[in-house]
Amino acid sequence: MRAALIKLYRNTLFRLSLLGAVFFVVALIIALGNVYFLTISREIAQVDKSLAAEVEEFQEILETRGLIPLGNEVFLRSGSGDRHYLLTARNQDGKDMVTGNLGEQIVTLKRQEKTVLGEEGTEGFTKVDFILVVPATDTNPASDRRMRGLSGYLQIDGKNVAAVVASRDVEVTMRTAERVKNAIFSSSAIALVLGLISSWFVSRKFTQRVEAFNRLATDVRAGHLDRRAPRNYSEDEMDLLAEHLNDMLDHIDRLMKAMRYAGDSIAHDLRSPLTRLRTRLETAASEIKDPLAQETLFAASDDADQLLKTFDSVLRIARLEAGERREMLSEIDPKPILDDIAELYEPACEDVGLSFSSDIRAGHLISADRGLISQAVSNLVENAIKYTPKGGAIHVSLLRNKEGRTEISIVDDGPGIPEGSRQRVKERFVRLDVSRSEPGSGLGLALVDAIADLHRATFALEEGRKSGDGLRPGLSARLTFPRIRKQKQPSVQLAQAAE
Amino acid sequence: MRILVVEDDDIAAEYVRKGLMEAGHVVDLAPDGELGLEMARAADYDAMILDRMLPKRDGMSVLAEMRADGDSTPVLILSALGEVDQKVEGLRGGGDDYLAKPYSFTELLARVEAIGRRSDPTAAVTKLKCADLEMDLLARTVRRAGKNVLLQPREFRLLECLMRNAGRVVTRTMLLEKVWDYHFDPQTNVIDVHISRLRGKIDKDFDEPLLHTVRGAGYRLQA
Repeated sequence: MRAALIKLYRNTLFRLSLLGAVFFVVALIIALGNVYFLTISREIAQVDKSLAAEVEEFQEILETRGLIPLGNEVFLRSGSGDRHYLLTARNQDGKDMVTGNLGEQIVTLKRQEKTVLGEEGTEGFTKVDFILVVPATDTNPASDRRMRGLSGYLQIDGKNVAAVVASRDVEVTMRTAERVKNAIFSSSAIALVLGLISSWFVSRKFTQRVEAFNRLATDVRAGHLDRRAPRNYSEDEMDLLAEHLNDMLDHIDRLMKAMRYAGDSIAHDLRSPLTRLRTRLETAASEIKDPLAQETLFAASDDADQLLKTFDSVLRIARLEAGERREMLSEIDPKPILDDIAELYEPACEDVGLSFSSDIRAGHLISADRGLISQAVSNLVENAIKYTPKGGAIHVSLLRNKEGRTEISIVDDGPGIPEGSRQRVKERFVRLDVSRSEPGSGLGLALVDAIADLHRATFALEEGRKSGDGLRPGLSARLTFPRIRKQKQPSVQLAQAAE
Repeated sequence: MRILVVEDDDIAAEYVRKGLMEAGHVVDLAPDGELGLEMARAADYDAMILDRMLPKRDGMSVLAEMRADGDSTPVLILSALGEVDQKVEGLRGGGDDYLAKPYSFTELLARVEAIGRRSDPTAAVTKLKCADLEMDLLARTVRRAGKNVLLQPREFRLLECLMRNAGRVVTRTMLLEKVWDYHFDPQTNVIDVHISRLRGKIDKDFDEPLLHTVRGAGYRLQA
C-alpha cells in the first residue's frame, strides 16, 4: 500500500494533476471566501455601524435632553425586533436607574474588543459578542441567541453618567455564516478528493501509454530493433511521440542494417585479396634463405591468418543472424558434443595449470546443430582458459534446470565481467579494457550470442565461482535452451506410416 | 601429380599453379566451367581443384557431369561459400574435400596431396607403416620398433590421420575436421596440446623423432 502510494507520487503526471487540483481548491476557497466577505462580514459591519450611530444618538440625547428622556428612549426601543439594550445610571437623588431588556436574561460574554467611536467623545466603548439565553415561552423552547453589542459609558462634561449596552440579535446572520463556512469547507474537501481521483485516473491512463514507451525502450536496448511503439492515430501528443519514436527507430534500423551490410560486404570482398596476400607471404617465407627475414614473413603471414579468421567470424555471425540455418536444427542429446569438447580442452587446461571438471548428464534433448553448439561451447571454454589465471578451475556442465529446461554452463573462477558490461561484451568487436592486451578479435561472445539466438536459447553471463582467495568473482556463461515441443500424436503417424 | 585447376580469378589461379609446381606437381589451368569439363574429359588427372562459382558453368554442375560420366578423379572443391551446410552439399555432390576461401596455400597443398590418386585414402588398408612405426587398424594397436604404444581412442585417430598422410603436411584445420569433425578454428593452440601428448607417446623414448612441426602449416609424420 505504502509502496503503491510512493509509486503513485513518483508519477510525474499524477503530481502535475495533483498540483492542478490543489490550485483549483485554493481558488475555490478564495472565491467562496469572497462570497463570505461580501455577505456576512458586510452585514456584521452594518450592524456595528448602526450600533455606533445609536450610541452617538444616545450620547446626544443625554447631552441635550437629560438622563430621563434617554431612559425613556431606550425603554421605547427595547424589544422592537432584534434590538436589545441595557442602560444603568445613578439618578440625581442617588437612586439606581436600570432600563432596557437585557438585564433579566442570562448573558454569556464571548468576546470583547476596545474600540473608538465617532470623532470625539464617546471613547472607551467596547465591542462585545455575547450569548443571550432566551427562556422558554409557551410557544418557543429556550434558545441561545448570539448577540453583537457595544458597551461603554455615556458622559457629560467628561464624567461617566450612564453605562449602556446596545446590541442586536445576530443569530440569523451567524447561522448563515456558519452554513457558508461549512459550504466552503465541504466543497473544498469534495474538490480535493475529486481532484485526487481525477489525478490518479489521468496519471493511470497516461502511465499506461508511457509504460508502452518504456517497454519499447527496454526491448530495443535488448536488441529487438523491430519493435515499434503502439499508436492510436488520435494525433494527440502521445500519438505524435509514438510516431516520431517509430520514425527514429526505422531510421536507426536502416542505418544499422546498412552498416552491417557494408561491414559484411567489406569482409566478403576483402577475403580474396587477403588470401592472395597470405599466399604471397607464405611463398616468400618458404623461398627466402635469410632466417631473420623468414621469421618476419612468417609472423606477417600469421597476422594475415588472424585477419582472415576475423573476417570469417564476421561473415559467420552475419549468416547466423540472418537465421538461414534454423531449418537445419534437429533434436539431439548434447551430451556427446560436450564430452568431445571436454576431451578436447581438458589437456589444454592442464597444460596451463587450470583444473578442469565436468558434470555432463545424458538424456536432455534439445533442438540444435552439433557444429554450432560445439563452436559456442568451444568459444566459451577458450574464453575461460584465456582469462582464468594459473591455479584456477573451469567447470563444464549439462543439466536440466528447475524449470525443466536444458542448460549448458561453463563456470570459472577468473576475474569475471563487471555487471554493467555483461550485455555489452556480447556485441561484435566489443572488448573490455582489461582484455585489450590479450589476443582476440572481440567476436567470440558475439558469435556465441548469435548461435544462442538461432537456437532460441538464452545466453546469460553471471558471476561464477569465487576463487579460493575470494579475490575474483569468476564468470558463469550459461546457455539455456527452450523445451522441445512434443509432436502431436506421433503414434498415429507411425501407425499410418507402417501401413 | 598432374593437377587440373579450374578457377576464374587469374591471380589466384596463377598463385595456385606456381605453388603447386614448386611442390613438384604438373598443373593445367582452366578459366571457366565449360573448358574445365572439356579438359577433365580429355586428360587423366590425378587430382582436380574446382571453384564453385565459375563463369559459363558452375563447379557443382561440372562435378555432377563428371561423376555421371563415371570419372572418379579426386576433386577438391574451392569456394567462398564456407558454411558447413554448403560443405556438406559439396561433398554429397561428389567432391572429395572442400576448402573455403580464404584458405592458406599450405592448407590447399596438404589437402590436394591428401586426396590425390597416388595415395588413395579410401583404399582398404588394414596396416599403416612409417619407418619403424606400425599401426594395425583392425586390432587397433600401435607399435614402434616392436614395442607396444598405448593410445587413447582419440590419439589413435590422430595418429591414423597423420600416418595415412605420412610424408605430407597435415594442417591443424584438417586434423580438427578429420579427427574431431569440427568445422571451425579454435583461437587457441588446443591441437598442439594433443599433438605434444601424442609425441610424448611415440617419439619420447626414441632417438629419431617421427612427428615434426612444420612452421606456419601444420604437422608431418616422416622418418
